Amino acid sequence: MVAISGNDTGSYGDDKPSFFARWFYSTNHKDIGTLYLIFGIISGLIGGFLSFMMRMELGEPGIQFFTNEHQYLVFVSMHGLIMIFFMVMPALIGGFGNWFVPIMIGAPDMAFPRMNNLSFWLLPTALICLLVSFVLPGSASGDGFGGGWVMYPPLSTSGSPGPAFDFIIIGLLAAGFSSIFGAINFITTILNMRAPGMTMHKMPLFAWSVLVTAFLLLLALPVLAAALFMLFTDRIDGGTGFFDPARGGDPQMFQHLFWFFGHPEVYIMILPAFGIISHIVSTFSKKPIFGYLGMAYAMVAIGVVGFVVWAHHMYTIGMDVNLKAYFLAATLVIAVPTGVKIFSWLATMWGGSIRYTIPMQWALAFIFLFVIGGVTGVVLANAGVDTALHDTYYVVAHFHYVLSMGAVFGIFAGFYYWFGKMFGIMYNKFLAAAHFWLFFIGVNVIFFPQHFLGMNGMPRRYVDYPADFELWNHVSTMGAMITLLGVVFFFLMLIEAFIVRRKVGDNYWGEGATTLEWTLSSPPPYHQFNTLPRIDEDPTEHDADKMH
Amino acid sequence: MSVNTRTLLILIVVGFGMLGLGMSSAKIYNTFCKITGYGGTTQQAEENLSEVIDRKVTVKFDSNVADNMPWVFKPQQKEMEVQLGQSGLAYYTVKNESDHPIIGVANFNVTPIKAGPFFVKTDCFCFTEQRVEPGEELPLPVLFFVDAQMDDDKRMDEVKEITLSYTFFESDSNAQIATETSGSNAEKTLN
Repeated sequence: MVAISGNDTGSYGDDKPSFFARWFYSTNHKDIGTLYLIFGIISGLIGGFLSFMMRMELGEPGIQFFTNEHQYLVFVSMHGLIMIFFMVMPALIGGFGNWFVPIMIGAPDMAFPRMNNLSFWLLPTALICLLVSFVLPGSASGDGFGGGWVMYPPLSTSGSPGPAFDFIIIGLLAAGFSSIFGAINFITTILNMRAPGMTMHKMPLFAWSVLVTAFLLLLALPVLAAALFMLFTDRIDGGTGFFDPARGGDPQMFQHLFWFFGHPEVYIMILPAFGIISHIVSTFSKKPIFGYLGMAYAMVAIGVVGFVVWAHHMYTIGMDVNLKAYFLAATLVIAVPTGVKIFSWLATMWGGSIRYTIPMQWALAFIFLFVIGGVTGVVLANAGVDTALHDTYYVVAHFHYVLSMGAVFGIFAGFYYWFGKMFGIMYNKFLAAAHFWLFFIGVNVIFFPQHFLGMNGMPRRYVDYPADFELWNHVSTMGAMITLLGVVFFFLMLIEAFIVRRKVGDNYWGEGATTLEWTLSSPPPYHQFNTLPRIDEDPTEHDADKMH
Repeated sequence: MSVNTRTLLILIVVGFGMLGLGMSSAKIYNTFCKITGYGGTTQQAEENLSEVIDRKVTVKFDSNVADNMPWVFKPQQKEMEVQLGQSGLAYYTVKNESDHPIIGVANFNVTPIKAGPFFVKTDCFCFTEQRVEPGEELPLPVLFFVDAQMDDDKRMDEVKEITLSYTFFESDSNAQIATETSGSNAEKTLN
């Protein structure tokens, strides 16, 4: 996309600190990125275990594995919180963001390396708080907090008097501040530390996606923090009554605050994946991305509109019909910039010389499955339809298509795309392909039948269900087993790659890979760009060249 | 100051700004509900200055008591027909069926919720806390009118009925009753 002059041999200052200092006091953006990725994998295993137990339980009617409904709900709640705050966000933003944003914009490191260290180490602390809550008294029916990741009062206030939920609040506040610090770091880095000639309009799309995501984090997470603070003081005996109608409060206000954070949060999880997919599609079509500026500003538009659609999560609270009409229309508007992105990816591939490598397979699957999730989202945006489908498995299928197939496929796509760059070694193609196909088939078998269950009225968040729903639940549970097998192949792939250590070159994807990370060695030197690279060419001119 | 420090400070201010907005959301939300009638929030006025016109609405009365609160709370009339702008006086009755005094406070709204901005109370038992002695039965008045401006709003054309609903909750002031030596007046102005 850009022509780069300057020479970075990577032979200078490559001394690494000792093990403890390197990994625990780390201020190096690449090391912190690696820590985030490892953390994401660990959290993904925990969150995945929780969901696997849920699927096992729901394989047939009746209660098989859990002691009671509450314990099941604790698993549901913790699965949501852990996957969102401790798997997707750390992997996409903390992991790939830290690794590649500074390199892509030609910066030597993040703007505030020590704050970067703080951002990372708040997360394990937060995760421990959440895990501790499993074994602390929650409500009268058992240990842990079972009020869902949305944490609506009064279930999260008078309904869960035990200390379990207090630990979750503290954990989420820690995770929230970690993300806010990270967001400040990314914004400062991207705005101030671009290499000479790297204008905003030449910046790679992954950096754009992280910039928009960082702004969403900065604006949305403090609102979640405020809502959590208020929940915390509401929970104290004789404390405040923000959400307590008996004391002049309103539980609906929590829902407004939560979703004012919660809706941007879903874009926080998907935008970095959009960025990654753009690079992969462009690389393996050997073409610059179609409509670069449109792609960048589509993400900005999604971010802006994402802040004014939150009440479509709460159509059933007894909302005025005109307000519903507004939120309906505003929500549908988001389909427009999202469509711009989908069609630009397709147009990038059109007439390209496509290579179906492992990352490209993940990227194509991402586009396909994200469209399915997006279309069911358009269905649910309609207030009238949502009244029937609210809190059914249709909603569960919808958001897993955009998250567990959208965001997670984006993560795996990026992981395979940059695996050689990050670790200097190549994965085994057979194991990686087995991982992809098992995972692809598995998640579809899990979640596609859930559309049928939801359409037939099966509500979410119940440990048991009538026998009529057994068939598709059984199929869904089979899907979970296939997915588990896929995960096994992911780890086999990792182990094999690190044992065999097939070395890769600087730019192992060849011609199509044009961003700055491909000018460095694999793995990149411990400190890169002692001489800043210069970026001269205008990518839009480049676009025009290609067309003639 | 370096460029990075300046950016850092601006972003910290933005972050704290959002935190502040979040923390003051209770005030913002209350004000918003009062101004817009959001969620069927009724209006409050010193006196009825609305003109009286021919169009009539039926006002229905609904009553609820929070779980485990030993009060019986009923409207004395099921419904009442008023002209727009005409003041109406309705009564509820509350009875404390327990053996100790209880202070209650009532929440309210109207349905359809879009009628909130036009439903005005000039006096209401819900403006203050209510203390009811054991076994005592109290009449609770509410003086209201439906603003004639409702007739100018096209959205309100099909509205022929407005339901006024109250829910009584036990007030925080009940904690004080236990420590009180004599039955002093526990009436405390809300708002």
